[in-house]
Amino acid sequence: MSVETPSDDWLLRVEDLSVHFHTPRGVVQAVDHITFEVRPKETLALVGETGCGKSVTARSIMKLVPEPPGEYASGSILLRSPSTGAVIDMLTAPMDQVRATRGDRIAMIFQDPGKALNPSLTIGRQLAEVFGEHRARMLLTQAGIDPDHAPVGSGAIASQRAGVIRRNFFHLTHPGQSRALRAAVDDAVINALSDTGIPNPRKVMSSYPHELSGGMKQRVMIAQALACDPDLLIADEPTTALDVTIQARILDLINDLQQRRGTAILYITHDLSLVRQFADRLAVMYAGRMVESGPALEVLKAPQHPYTQGLLAAIPRAGTPRGQLAAIAGSVPQLVDPPPQCHFSSRCGWSAEVCTTHVPHLIGLPGERKVACLRFEQASSIGVEEAEMPLRAAHVEVGP
Amino acid sequence: MSVTLDHQNVGQPAPSSGGDVMTLHDVTVHYPVKQGVLQRVTGAVRAVDGVDLSIRRGQTLGLVGESGCGKTTLGRVIAGLVPATGGDIWFDLDEALRSRMEHLRSVPAESMTAQERSEWATLQANHRLGAMTKERQRVYRRNCQFVFQDAFASLNPRQLVRDIVGRPLRVYHEATGSDLDVKVINLLERVGLGPQHLLRYPHQFSGGQRQRISIARALALNPEFVVLDEPTSALDVSVQAQILNLLVELQEDLGLTYLFITHDLGVVQHMSDYLAVMYLGRIAEVGPTDQVFTDPLHPYTKVLRDSNPSLEGDEVDGSAHLRLTGTVPNPIDPPQGCRLHPRCPVSQPECGWQVDDMFLSLETSTPASFDAISRVERSGPFAAQLVMADDASARHLHDEITNSRSPFGRAVESITLNGANVSIRLREVEEIPLIPVSPGRMSSCLLSGRPGGITPPSESR
Repeated sequence: MSVETPSDDWLLRVEDLSVHFHTPRGVVQAVDHITFEVRPKETLALVGETGCGKSVTARSIMKLVPEPPGEYASGSILLRSPSTGAVIDMLTAPMDQVRATRGDRIAMIFQDPGKALNPSLTIGRQLAEVFGEHRARMLLTQAGIDPDHAPVGSGAIASQRAGVIRRNFFHLTHPGQSRALRAAVDDAVINALSDTGIPNPRKVMSSYPHELSGGMKQRVMIAQALACDPDLLIADEPTTALDVTIQARILDLINDLQQRRGTAILYITHDLSLVRQFADRLAVMYAGRMVESGPALEVLKAPQHPYTQGLLAAIPRAGTPRGQLAAIAGSVPQLVDPPPQCHFSSRCGWSAEVCTTHVPHLIGLPGERKVACLRFEQASSIGVEEAEMPLRAAHVEVGP
Repeated sequence: MSVTLDHQNVGQPAPSSGGDVMTLHDVTVHYPVKQGVLQRVTGAVRAVDGVDLSIRRGQTLGLVGESGCGKTTLGRVIAGLVPATGGDIWFDLDEALRSRMEHLRSVPAESMTAQERSEWATLQANHRLGAMTKERQRVYRRNCQFVFQDAFASLNPRQLVRDIVGRPLRVYHEATGSDLDVKVINLLERVGLGPQHLLRYPHQFSGGQRQRISIARALALNPEFVVLDEPTSALDVSVQAQILNLLVELQEDLGLTYLFITHDLGVVQHMSDYLAVMYLGRIAEVGPTDQVFTDPLHPYTKVLRDSNPSLEGDEVDGSAHLRLTGTVPNPIDPPQGCRLHPRCPVSQPECGWQVDDMFLSLETSTPASFDAISRVERSGPFAAQLVMADDASARHLHDEITNSRSPFGRAVESITLNGANVSIRLREVEEIPLIPVSPGRMSSCLLSGRPGGITPPSESR
């Protein structure tokens, strides 16, 4: 279901996406009408605390949210091919198209590399699966076999679907081609591994995940994700499980690979201090909604939404007097059948009557910035008295 | 090897009450590694391997390090949850007792006079962990409490908050019945909860509230010293800020002493008066927090600081920072000399290079040479005879090592080639102790005292 759209410069466009989970206690609105886009070659950081829906958003883009209990309640996730301009909607596209897209055009790195790798397969086998799934023809060509007239069995072997008997049979009947095919797979895997700075990739290839350290496993995950040169890499807290020194090296690596390949990155994290070094644009989520977005450095310099302000002030840093961190009082609200209100109103210092009855919408500010707060809304546009509105925000000059 | 922390040297002047809550001398914790059918002990994981530290009354000592460096084990030893396998830990020593203890410890047991012997015995019975009398042990237990990292696992899911927080009071016969409820409510109010939470189960609370319950339980007996083992690492920043504020407020009100264990440098910088940086079971650096951050003496501290993403400062190019290479070595067989040297960006020939380091670097840099090694006869960590597959690869290895300008290459004292045999001897280095560098600051890096310090040479950037 490809449609042609005007050639704006975008790669991924999430429009009005809502993801709900049906639980015995009610419907959890994990993601609630969010809209954002990722442009080619940029890094968009999606920031928020536990339970704000950032991981669900990431998984939705890969269409990995299980249905049921999950449900894509509204919206679309459009992925555009940078070369042809063809657009697919991940939510409505047929499953085989979604499968072809996953891992090939969109790849994902998960939080815990220890859990994301299969413990019973060698690293080499796991990486070969990616090539088999998406690049079987390339492997055949490299092994000197014409993919259109490939001998029986070689196609299955290249796509890593052949069992041991089939592989051995093929090896007996076509020894030369079998050897060439193995070499082609090994070469592809070794290239992918050495690209991520793994020393001695031949040894790593034949080891199992438990033999590697956490940082090394994350490198393998990155190699796997970038194997097919995706247009978009979704990194879901890739360094949370790692120590700071390893984290710094993994971030350097991701940065470096992005420079070389021009991959766009959707970087999901709870750590605002990572965003500063790393992201071009920033989107802050709270309780399933997007509350603020804009160029990363400017949002960090002059946050507009009370939640972003609170989040930044809560980070301990040099110079804050001890014991005087600006903590945000209260805790994140439950998202089971929530009332139509600003979810932050219960913890917000500016909160007024209208905040508990109206849902704020993202309002454009100068300099490509957006904020969803009723302090920026006109009383007339939502049809209430001026007196019920929270104190209006002084429009801070943003942008250069 | 150990150098004792000289009290006058360490940090700011002690508060009026003075003295140390805990004094550690050469503390080790080795966990045995058992193998085979008979479960024979074949080695030991050196979780904590020779730590000297003193925790001053009324202050916060931050203990930072990466996972597996032994910081949690050290915290547990100090809290008496894990017995130390070596060294001694002293509780509640004031200035005078401390210098007396240090004097007596240096006297060999056989040359002690009868008076000294009895004084030593009294000192141990009153202050030394593991040798205390029963009454003193009770005093120590009351005064040393622990807040665990995982507030989900450290609260009994079958008990009500009243029972969890009231348990220490009951054990120490402080209160029973309605009196207990009143005391528990007081404690809950102290940590920002209320009477409505008294009859709830842990699962009914959020992460931040659970950590508050843990803190209330730790404070139940009015301790003077609390070990906080990553109390906020499972929490979101906004909730973390609440807990950190609470901890500071409690410290000011109750005059508590904290040992704050964490891997988060931002948090430790905010919370602690002085800082101990741990790497692989040993202390790399100790000093006042701000000085350690602004001018680290140990390359590991510098790497940690530079790796920590920051919200401030100018745009920095990540490659300009120091980075560690490789991975954390196995604590069963830690490196000789300085523990950091195989990964250190500014390592020197004197840092304790050993034969194993050669294998490690060969394996990653020139796998061909590594694969050509057919047999190794070791004579200690610093010397070995390698039998290579053929003469050519032996010559190649020999040339590679002799021509190397790396710290390892310069640490080679002798290397001889004999057919396919290469025998190599490296400079022998003792374990590098923690040395006082400037008043209040200690470091276990050879470069710390030298002019230029740990600034890397420009070509290694």
